[in-house]
Amino acid sequence: MHRDSWRELKQDQWFIAGSATALLCLFLVVAGPWFASHDPNDISFSPLSAPSTEHWLGVNDGAMDILAELLHGMRKTAGFGLLSGSAGLGLGIFIGLAAACFGGMAERFLMGLGEILLAILAVMILILAAMFFRPAPVVLAFLLAFLSWPTTAKAIRAQALLRKESLHVRPARQMGASSAYILLRHLLPELYLLYLMGFAGKVRSAVLMEASLAFLGLLDPNRKSLGIIIKYALKYYYLDVRFNWLLPPIACLTLLVMSLTCLVISLEKLFDPRLREWWW
Amino acid sequence: MTRAFLRMLPAYLLAGLTLIALSHALPRFMPGDFVTAMCSGSHVVLNGEEDAELRRRYAHEEGCFQYLARLCRLDWGYSQAFMTPVSRLILDALPWTLLLMGTAHLISTALGFAAGVEAAWRRGQAAQKISVEVMTILEGVPEIATGVLLLLVFALKLGWSPAAGAETAYAQHGTWQRVLDVANHLVLPLSTLVVAYLPGNFLLARWSMLLVLKAPFMETARAKGLPPLRVRYAHGACNALLPLVTRLGLRIAFMVTGAVVVETIHSYPGLGTLLFNAIARRDIPLVQGIVLFSSITFLAVNMGLELFYGWLDPRLKHAS
Repeated sequence: MHRDSWRELKQDQWFIAGSATALLCLFLVVAGPWFASHDPNDISFSPLSAPSTEHWLGVNDGAMDILAELLHGMRKTAGFGLLSGSAGLGLGIFIGLAAACFGGMAERFLMGLGEILLAILAVMILILAAMFFRPAPVVLAFLLAFLSWPTTAKAIRAQALLRKESLHVRPARQMGASSAYILLRHLLPELYLLYLMGFAGKVRSAVLMEASLAFLGLLDPNRKSLGIIIKYALKYYYLDVRFNWLLPPIACLTLLVMSLTCLVISLEKLFDPRLREWWW
Repeated sequence: MTRAFLRMLPAYLLAGLTLIALSHALPRFMPGDFVTAMCSGSHVVLNGEEDAELRRRYAHEEGCFQYLARLCRLDWGYSQAFMTPVSRLILDALPWTLLLMGTAHLISTALGFAAGVEAAWRRGQAAQKISVEVMTILEGVPEIATGVLLLLVFALKLGWSPAAGAETAYAQHGTWQRVLDVANHLVLPLSTLVVAYLPGNFLLARWSMLLVLKAPFMETARAKGLPPLRVRYAHGACNALLPLVTRLGLRIAFMVTGAVVVETIHSYPGLGTLLFNAIARRDIPLVQGIVLFSSITFLAVNMGLELFYGWLDPRLKHAS
């Protein structure tokens, strides 16, 4: 799985396209706010003015610079996705490996819990929680992570169980390697492509979730994320501001989601070896 | 009854009970109560008597089982913003969502399946390659983007379709005129959803068809001298159907959530828009009702699917 799949990935056009766009997004997320020449909360400009050299994307109805909003919004949305994605992935890896290693009652309990969580609509729980408690987005991100670990945990458990009996792990165990050694030296590092796939998929759905929740008006309207910008821009879609106000955040969101989709698709292809030579 | 169904049954029941218990308990955890939530931010000033009266009305304690019984009687509470029973509002909005989502799923699944099967059959050809590339790119476009673009181009710029609503208000139409009117309003949200769902269906159908094409029974079918169309559909495509049915089930289960963004953008009066408005007006009983309704639909559809699999793929019935 190791070197071959990496080489194969590097030749896959979808993986190249996906990771290039993802890197671009990451750059915007990390460095974006430094490029913003205005504070996104500064309300001292003239409302709804057209793009100019001073305000590249114009000014919104609340007299705030749209480019500054956009650069900060990208960070908020992607940050939510990355946080929720990594927490969900961490939980998934931990629970999947634990289930595969311990077996027995613990495995049945964890996987049963996973089935229950899979049968619950995550977005509905998030809507209820956001509606009743108005929590910080960080809390919602962790809640989403808690609801989304089962898919990764199931995949990791299945692969770990297969790998436990593979030709290089069995001898290690016969030579007296402890479960902890096998877990940390063999299972944990050898499933890394599975992590990448789970991570990309989870970040993708978390980004979409954040955009939808913000669009529904469930997140703090002062926290400028892409969903919030779209929500407010959409109110004025019949004015000329649509080109500088409505379309840019939509393009950013699309870029973000598209890069992650490309990564997921290329990794999925890698995981179904039956399809590799048949792809085209 | 498949074995998988029986195995999953406890998980579904537990999930359902968890949801109902959550829905019952959450308002109780809320800081303050309904009265504070409703009136503290508004311009209405309550005097002591009214305040006590309102509190008495909303404070009645009911146990989880009483709540469950009330849900079964379709008594889902009373919407404070619309001054209508929640069940009435949900039942009014449901037909539009069913029409929109049902048509969207029907079209995107049928089209995606046929196109996917044909693309798999023609693997290696240039046109097929391009179609896969286009579909993969489309798969990465969120509904919010497609919806807004279609709205801007076809409703605003070209003016071909109405921008909002499900039918012309107060219009006195005959039956056929009304059908045309509804269809005209349906086009934009429907195309948004089809563009959103089609690529996934296409890629999945092509994928599973590619797997079927490698199966030895396809070789046999061809060797028997069957006509290509029969080989392709009766022997091949039928066996590639299962993943698509799974996906269709999952998507139907996501009925309300999937529709929220698109319905809101196009102001289509379905459950999604109802949820959006309920949230905007902080109408807690209505949000609760819609959330519970869609979560239970999700569970029920998933359970139904488990039953349906056994019929669709007899191999699953005998698998341990």
